[in-house]
This record gives sequence, C-alpha cells and structure tokens, in this order.
Amino acid sequence: MLSRSNAARIGFRGAVGFAWVLPSTVFLIAFFVFPLIHNGLKGFTESGEQSAVTSYARLLTEAYYLGTIVQTLVLSLVVTLISLLLGYPIAYYLVRYADKSANLIIFLLIAPLLTSIVMRTFGWKVLFARTGLLNMLLQQIGLTVRPINLMNGYVATVIGLVHVLIPFMVLSISSVLRGIDRRLEESAQILGANKLQTFLLITLPLSVEGILTGSILVFMLTNGAFVSILLLGQGTIHTLPLLIYQQFMVTRDVNFASAMGNILLVFALVCLFAQLRVLRRRN
Amino acid sequence: MPRKFRLGVIALRAFVVIFFVFMLAPILVVFVASFGTRDYVSFPMEGFSLKWYWRVYEYKPFLNSLIFSIELAIASTILAGLLGVPAGLALSRARSNLGQFVTMFLLAPLSIPLIVLGLALLYYMSLLGFGIGFWSLLIGHAVVGLPYIVRTVTAVHRSLDIGIEESASILGATRWQIVLHVTLPLIRSAMFAGFLFCMLSSLDNLTISFFFGTATTSTLPVVMLSYLEYQFDPSIAAIGVIQMLLTITVLLVVDRVYGLGKLNIAD
Repeated sequence: MLSRSNAARIGFRGAVGFAWVLPSTVFLIAFFVFPLIHNGLKGFTESGEQSAVTSYARLLTEAYYLGTIVQTLVLSLVVTLISLLLGYPIAYYLVRYADKSANLIIFLLIAPLLTSIVMRTFGWKVLFARTGLLNMLLQQIGLTVRPINLMNGYVATVIGLVHVLIPFMVLSISSVLRGIDRRLEESAQILGANKLQTFLLITLPLSVEGILTGSILVFMLTNGAFVSILLLGQGTIHTLPLLIYQQFMVTRDVNFASAMGNILLVFALVCLFAQLRVLRRRN
Repeated sequence: MPRKFRLGVIALRAFVVIFFVFMLAPILVVFVASFGTRDYVSFPMEGFSLKWYWRVYEYKPFLNSLIFSIELAIASTILAGLLGVPAGLALSRARSNLGQFVTMFLLAPLSIPLIVLGLALLYYMSLLGFGIGFWSLLIGHAVVGLPYIVRTVTAVHRSLDIGIEESASILGATRWQIVLHVTLPLIRSAMFAGFLFCMLSSLDNLTISFFFGTATTSTLPVVMLSYLEYQFDPSIAAIGVIQMLLTITVLLVVDRVYGLGKLNIAD
C-alpha cells in the first residue's frame, strides 16, 4: 500500500479534479449570493419614504428600532454566557472523565437536534404552562397552592435557546480540550500545582480557542434565532428576526424588512470574520 | 485521592446528570403529553388516550404537510447530494488558499441567519419567475442543506488513504471508474450520515419554508406553527412524536443497512 508521501511524489492528485466544485459553486452563487446582494441593494434606487437611506436612518436613530438591535445583541450575549458556563463543565467531563459513557453522552447531546425545533419548544411551553408539569410538581411538593405564571417570556426564551444551542458549545470546547497534551497538566502537578491551579493556569488558557469558537457560533446562531423567540417570548421580546417577521406579515413594508435583514447579515459576517481570525491563529 | 478532589468529581458527575435531564425534559414531556385525555395540555394526566394520534390522521393539513415535507426533504437532499458530493471529493485534498476559500464558501449558508436568506430568496425567486411553490422550496432547502453534505464528504474523504485510489489508477481505472467503484463505496457510510443531516435540516426547516408556504406547499413545521398560534392541544405533541419516531426509524434503518460510522461532528 503506497503511503501518502509516495503518492504525492508520483504526482497522483486524486481521481477528482478541482473543476468538480463548479456545479455547487455556481448553484450557491446563483441562489445564495445573488439573492443576498439583491436584498442588500434593495431600496437604494428609490427615494423618499421607501428609500434605503430612510430605512437605515430610521433603524439606527429611532429609539424603538435601536432598542431592538440592542435587545438582539444582549440576548445573544446572555445565551452565549450561560451556554459557556454550563457547557464547559460538560465538555470537560466528556473529555476527561467519561471513558465508557463518552458515546452515550455525545448521543444525548445530538439526539435533541434530531427532533423538530417546534416540538422541543412546545415541550418547554408545556413545562412552563399554568397547567403544565412544573406547576404540578410545585403544587405536589407544597411550594405553591395555585398555578403560578412561570412563563416569564425572557427567562423561558433564554432557557429554550440555551437548550437548543448548548450542544454546539460543548462540541466546540470538547474538540479543543481533547487536543491538549495531558503531560502539560501532569508536569504542572509534579511541580506542585494543585488541581484548581492546574486547571486555571494550564487547561483553561489552552482551551481558549474552543471557548472562542463555541461562543462566536452560539452568539451568531442566537442572533438569527426565530422560532424559540416566537413561541416562548410571549410578545415581550423584540429581536431583529422577530421584527422582520412582523414587518413581513403585518405591515408588508418590504424595503424596511430588507434593511433590517441587512443589519442582521452584517452581524453574521462580523461573527464569521471573527471565527476566521480564531482559526487563523490556530495555524 | 484527597477528599476535596473526590467531592469535586462527584459534584461534576451530578451536574452532568442534571444537565441531561434538562436536555431530555422537553422531549419526554411532549411524549407524555401526547397521550392526554383533556382538550388542552394539562398535568396531572388523567388518563391515557390515543385520540390525539387519531386527530393527526383526521386533520388533513398535518398529514398532507408531513408527506410533502418528506418528499421535499428527499428531493432537496438528492439535489444537494448531486452538487455537494463531487465538491466534497474535490475539496478534501485541496491545500491551496483557493481550495480553503471555496470550502468556506460552500459551508457559508450554515452561518447566515435563515430569516434574511428566506426574505431575500422570496423576492429574488419572484424576480426570476419561480414564484412560490415546490421548485423555490427545493432550491432553498438545497442551499441550506448543501453544507452538511460538503462537510461530511470532505471530512471522510480526507481520512481515506490516497494510495487506494492511486492503486486503482495504476491498475488502469479511469477517473469515473475510480470514483464509482472505489471512492464512493469506501465513504458510503459517512456520506449517508451527511445525507441524513441534510434531510433532517430540511424536515425541520421553518424559517425558509415559511416564506414559500401556500395551501398546497406548506411544510409540516409551518403547519404546526400556525396551529400553535390558535390552539394548545396535545395534537401538536402527537405529530411531534410521530415525526421523531420517523426520524429514529430512518436513522436505525440506514445504520443497519449501510452503517453510519463515526460522525465527525466536532468540527
């Protein structure tokens, strides 16, 4: 069997030429890039109420819309932080302690992704509802006498979003943790560091790349999150995706919706760029 | 082992258990709720009834949209597969900057907020004359599902020893023969895993499908969403369970027939 280096020397570059990427590339340019460019340019040819300039001016100066943009970013930040705080220990356990149960844990992490997001979010509604499971448990334990309203829109939405996105965080961190040379930790301990010091000074700094990758990913996905907020937010949460949905359904102000979409797109591109920087640092 | 350390490990273990209860809770709750007897979701459960599953069968939009969603998922995965598998094979060994850029480009739809893409596609498609309907949905789902296929094929093909294809070439096989008889059979299991992810993303896709929904071309998530806006009864739970069982069945069948292999999901 020829090794990889031998094959390279002989000049065999694989059976498939680079041109094989053309169909998919052309497809994406036609149906992914062009629509987004078309959306981005929309409204710049019109003037007055419908013009793009007016739209962006309104979005960036009027308090309501500015507040929506801020709410979007803040929600993403909150979900990212919670996912990080809860997800890191899981990733650590997965890599360091789970030998026999590792496959089970990975399966349990991925399994929810196999179910419909509508179903999962509905499940949270059921848990939090007045006649739902949590209320029943609280009454049975004796903490409450009547059903209480647990459906604080913001808390329920955050829980729903963390539930959906935390697997991404755990998998990002665990893949980096796996690559950390354990001898570094052992050396630290030989030199006298205790477990906590080893973790804080050796493991944690070495896993920063995983933290950044996971955080950027979760942040970006929360920015674009729509279903969970729609179903759990109870009308109290206003983020950009929801606003776009409302603009489209209710006011039919397409140019305005497109402008909002472009702002959201800019956020996503910034996150993509940041992720590239993190990956570039690895190499 | 020092006592303080043991306590830490036990606490961590407990945390992991609680975490997975948290992860599975909504799914289990929906499963249980689907058997409720009352006309609204309520706990404690008073009885055990299959009437909501019967209601799913009776309520035409649920059944029709489920069938439509499945057809759409299969069709869009075939399209994405035809586009993505060759690209994945070509990009797996590409070390150049151009190769890396193209890989990133093909994976880009994963990172774009779907609601922006859906809105943009809607107006773009009507500009092109496609309108709303099956073809627009097909294209939209293929765009969103393509990254899953490219990612899986690239990852598994990269781990294949190039010497195998090289030997086939030396023995006189043409390019097509190598791909059809050597490469594809070898990457088959992971390729099907990629197909599965693509199909699941299509089945579950709400944001893009929502823009293209009509009376005849609504997908199941869109129908479920509009149902939820007016009702809170267990039939949503029932249809959710049915969909989940379908997914698990397909997973098991594919695994049994082809074997899903190790999934490179961490990247």
